[in-house]
Amino acid sequence: MSSGRSITRSFSSLLGSAMFRYIVRRLLYMIPVFLGISIISFFVMYAAGDPLSIIRIGKPDITQETIESLKIYYGLDKPVPIQYLNWLTNLLQGNFGKSLRGGRPVNLLIGSWAWETVKLQLISILLAFAISIPIGINSAKKQYSKQDVAVTSISLFGVSMPTFWLGIILIIIFSYQLGLLPSAGSRGAPYLWWDNPILDQIAHLIMPVAVLVYVMLAQNIRLIRANMLEILRSDYVLAARASGLSERKVIYKYALRNAIGPVITYLGISLGMIIAGAPMTEYVFSWPGLGRRYVTAAMELDFPVVMGITMIITMMTLIANLMIDIAYVYIDPRIRLR
Amino acid sequence: MTENILNIEGLKTYFFTEAGIVKAVDDISFNLKKNESLGLVGESGSGKTVTALSVLRIVPKPGKIIDGKVEFNGDDLLEKTEKEMQKMRGSEIAIIFQDPSSSLNPVYNVETQLRDVILAHQTVPKAETRKKVIELLEVVGIPEAETRMREYPHQFSGGMKQRVAIARALACEPTLLFADEPTTNLDVTIQAQVLNLLNDLKKKFNMSLVMITHDMGIIAEMTTRIVVLYAGRVCEIAKTHDLFERPRHPYTEALLAAVPRLDMKKTLRIIPGNIPNLIEPPSGCRFHPRCKHAKNTCKEKIPVLEEIEPEHFVACHEWQNISLKGERKH
Repeated sequence: MSSGRSITRSFSSLLGSAMFRYIVRRLLYMIPVFLGISIISFFVMYAAGDPLSIIRIGKPDITQETIESLKIYYGLDKPVPIQYLNWLTNLLQGNFGKSLRGGRPVNLLIGSWAWETVKLQLISILLAFAISIPIGINSAKKQYSKQDVAVTSISLFGVSMPTFWLGIILIIIFSYQLGLLPSAGSRGAPYLWWDNPILDQIAHLIMPVAVLVYVMLAQNIRLIRANMLEILRSDYVLAARASGLSERKVIYKYALRNAIGPVITYLGISLGMIIAGAPMTEYVFSWPGLGRRYVTAAMELDFPVVMGITMIITMMTLIANLMIDIAYVYIDPRIRLR
Repeated sequence: MTENILNIEGLKTYFFTEAGIVKAVDDISFNLKKNESLGLVGESGSGKTVTALSVLRIVPKPGKIIDGKVEFNGDDLLEKTEKEMQKMRGSEIAIIFQDPSSSLNPVYNVETQLRDVILAHQTVPKAETRKKVIELLEVVGIPEAETRMREYPHQFSGGMKQRVAIARALACEPTLLFADEPTTNLDVTIQAQVLNLLNDLKKKFNMSLVMITHDMGIIAEMTTRIVVLYAGRVCEIAKTHDLFERPRHPYTEALLAAVPRLDMKKTLRIIPGNIPNLIEPPSGCRFHPRCKHAKNTCKEKIPVLEEIEPEHFVACHEWQNISLKGERKH
């Protein structure tokens, strides 16, 4: 009984809290942003060309009649604003429409592609952050040491190197020359790599993950190092040392929490962009993910697919931004919600 | 005979920057008696703060202590391992910094910051540390300590922040306290309060105090003996009273004359020139380019600190040939 009441009470205090009101307001702000982006994307997509004209390239003997009936089938015969409103009405009901290439529902297509991209990205992002935070801190602690110079040079290399180039180099060495790793796809066909379905998946992940991690790592280490360097010069770090706190506590408690803000931002943005994936990397390793499909759909002028993925990216980015802002409140007590 | 708690001999702390070696502290020697209040005076850049940081061995990079002896109760601190040194910091020797807004960590509340210092040196149960934190805050005069300890530095006023910083320095009852311009960033009325507090606490905790400042008024009130630094070297050491009445070093005289006074009709007197570049400091006596009594020897020979009367030391070639004006009775 009493616990039930306390739950109700804590729930009502949650409803009244500044945080709750802030989240509700931010969610409401998202509506106009979401609509704005959808309008812009829709009309830009339209300006890119006539999707049915591409069919004519593939099938030169297609009759005008067939094209007209396809137009009616996909609703492309109506004025653009009406098309937009139809698309929006469907979207609000959770229906992304049908692909112009094959007519399959966009919902199903995205559903079947998304998993591979999320898997690849999530593993890479988590790995990159887990590795880069200690390396960045260490590099800042020992600024201009041999270790630091090595780390910063390798990072600079990583920041400036195109992912497709690194991917191709890896394929040449590990697949073509050494034959150690699969060069394409997300799982083994016709036979399993390393004779085990789980090991097979890992074997396929190694190179694309390596490329993504390396590029993110480079960005991230530079970010953490730069922030840490600034914080390590601050008076409160000196004061913490002067109070006899252990170096561990000085760095990981007193300095890190002050330096972590921009890293959280970068992590949030990365997670928000997870669906957009890394089209380059997916291309190089023929990864059956969403990023590669997104680019293909754009080139084929497959409006519904492009719009569907765009709107999911938009949503995730908006939510990630909100989460970054909420995280900041917990990290830094000086930040108040308004 | 009173024992020396601190004995600094020939301390040299250099900063190895890309522009060259900055000789921030260059052969400084002085001592501090038990329970004494010593003033460390000089312009910005004279090496006051670096001296304090050197004693604690927390000189930030690219600074390095390259020579000297820092004896604390007879033990040379420069010989100790980093671990031994860490145990001394905060518990035996503590420091209060100039700007409490930057010396307190913005993301942790007051209780956490004080508790961490206590726990770094003592093993006490959580309930007791909380009691200790409240006690400390009450000692430094923070009302409603129990609620305020849960607040963050930005929720305190400047004076209150400095009180928190003082509480942190005193958390483990150190025997030696450095106060590095503790009131420079405070309003004048608050300054007096904080200085009184420091004086009271010094007696209460039986501490020896090194007061670092460029404010001659504070020095006169707070200290019994003064070390005057210029460009990383000691110019003069004397009892406060002696120094104010009979300065022997031209720099000390200039420093005293630069104190603005209400009864003076003249405009503020300044010391001409700037503190020298410490990468290539002037030869001989470092003050000679700004000194109106400078002779050729001053450019060539480094003056040695000599005892010209009991407990009055001066490093000047010309001290016998010049007569300097002091301050009237305070």
